[in-house]
Amino acid sequence: MAIDKSLYTGSTTMLILKLLEEADMYGYQMIEELNRKSKNVFELKAGTLYPLLHALEQKELVTSYDETADNTRVRKYYSITKNGHKYLHEKKKEWKAYTSAVNDVLGGTNYATA
Amino acid sequence: MQQLDKITEYLDTVRQQVRWKKAQPIVLDEIQNHITDQKNAFLNDGFDEETATDKAIAEMGDPVVVGEKLNRVHKPKPDWSLLALTVAMLLLGLAIQFFIHSTLGGAWRFERQLVSSGIAIPVMLAAYFFDFTIVGKYPKLAFFALCVITIACLFFTGTVNGRSPSMIYPLLLFPTAFAGFVYSMRNKGYGGLILCGAVFIIPAVLSYYVPSATVLFLLCVSCLAILTGAVLKGWFNIRKRLGILILYIPTAAVLTTPFFIIMGEGYKAKRIQAIFNPSLDPTGAGYMGTIIRRLLSNSQFIGEGFPINGYMPYEAFHILPEINTDFLLTYLIYRLGWIVLIVTIALFAAFIIRAIILCMKQKSVLGFLTSLAIVSTFAVQCIVYIASNLGFLLFSPLSLPLISYGGKILVTNMFLIGLLLSVFRTGALVRDTTGTVAVNLNRFIQYDDGRIIIDLKGNLIK
Repeated sequence: MAIDKSLYTGSTTMLILKLLEEADMYGYQMIEELNRKSKNVFELKAGTLYPLLHALEQKELVTSYDETADNTRVRKYYSITKNGHKYLHEKKKEWKAYTSAVNDVLGGTNYATA
Repeated sequence: MQQLDKITEYLDTVRQQVRWKKAQPIVLDEIQNHITDQKNAFLNDGFDEETATDKAIAEMGDPVVVGEKLNRVHKPKPDWSLLALTVAMLLLGLAIQFFIHSTLGGAWRFERQLVSSGIAIPVMLAAYFFDFTIVGKYPKLAFFALCVITIACLFFTGTVNGRSPSMIYPLLLFPTAFAGFVYSMRNKGYGGLILCGAVFIIPAVLSYYVPSATVLFLLCVSCLAILTGAVLKGWFNIRKRLGILILYIPTAAVLTTPFFIIMGEGYKAKRIQAIFNPSLDPTGAGYMGTIIRRLLSNSQFIGEGFPINGYMPYEAFHILPEINTDFLLTYLIYRLGWIVLIVTIALFAAFIIRAIILCMKQKSVLGFLTSLAIVSTFAVQCIVYIASNLGFLLFSPLSLPLISYGGKILVTNMFLIGLLLSVFRTGALVRDTTGTVAVNLNRFIQYDDGRIIIDLKGNLIK
């Protein structure tokens, strides 16, 4: 299902942090996981992901480290920081307030017809 | 080959958008890895080589847009607060020198300090835009060159009262070179740690030829901080607690022995006692301490201090020697009030604390060790200077960085600050890559957490 892009650009940060809350991952892995978990709704492009990850790293919400994969390639893994956890918690709260407000409004029409 | 060219072409387009050269390799490595992963996934899905490559590239998105986004994120980050503090210290130094030399006479000294600042600023800027990672690239060469320069200073520059003060300037650069040396000892184990200790003896012995206990103290504190930092970061690949013990037990032994020897000798013991209580020997070893304490006890919070009994016909600058260099703060406190000390301490504390915070945030060990070396070199100078100017004369003052009179010391400190700011400006992009490959090849048998890991070309046997 394709969804209007503007609906989730703001929440991409939240989704990335949520993924990293579960495990440290490298970029490609994040895109795969996000695809799988959202049942292909969120098709994040690598070109969007990396600038975002690098910006998050500078804001110290995530941190990165190198790990050698199959002996030749060095993979850059990302891991969530304490600040990242805090930020995610805040964003989740905001998101819940927002969605419940939307639901209230949408549900309001039902209430009126009932 | 053609498929590879397509990937290279894509990466090149991204590269052209990222203007900061230093950021390019790190960004591109990650993207190249991503394309490879994506391509392999498509190959596994049953696509042929060409289609897999094309699809993988298409998945990435427009290279110009991607590159521009990355360019926006990756820009050098000057630390404006430290730059501002450096400018503030330099200007305060010049203002103080102007004040001192217009009251005491000798305006040419102020002009000389002005010229020295004119030299020090470009030196600092050169260091600031210099790629500090060179410290880690040629550590042995840098260390050896510094040794040669220091020894040359010993033999070819003039002595003052039997001392060779010009050796002090290259010696102040040793901690930074030492950081590079420690950096080159990655995974070298206990032997590496001991080798670092052995190498430390060279500048320590050189400081004996100045001779300067302050420089020796500075080298000890700074190099000990560097080694402690390296051990705690797991740089030597040794057990941390044992490493710390190996580091501190011999250091404590070496440092306390001279103290006990000195206490056994009458004259020197008297000097040490006078440091803690100058009034025991007010005309001999405790002379300076006594004068400083008398000046300070007559100082006001703001304004000129009260006249001092016993020294009455003389002005403060007659009884206190080396006002423009070694005892600038004491004089200014007496002359203008304690407020001078408060301002000075606030300025230096802000600089040092900010620098330590940024130092701790360095992700690369090279950036961490280099900045640690410079911060400690700077901090020890400040602390020793302020302590001695308050009458605690265990170590004689070296300089109050950027403030006290002296051209060479100003240039040296400005060079170090430039290098420090260069670490903070570009440090986020520095990675400790050197040595990893070699380690993987050399150490195919590793011992980790109670398991023996034999790494045969990447196939782990546990």
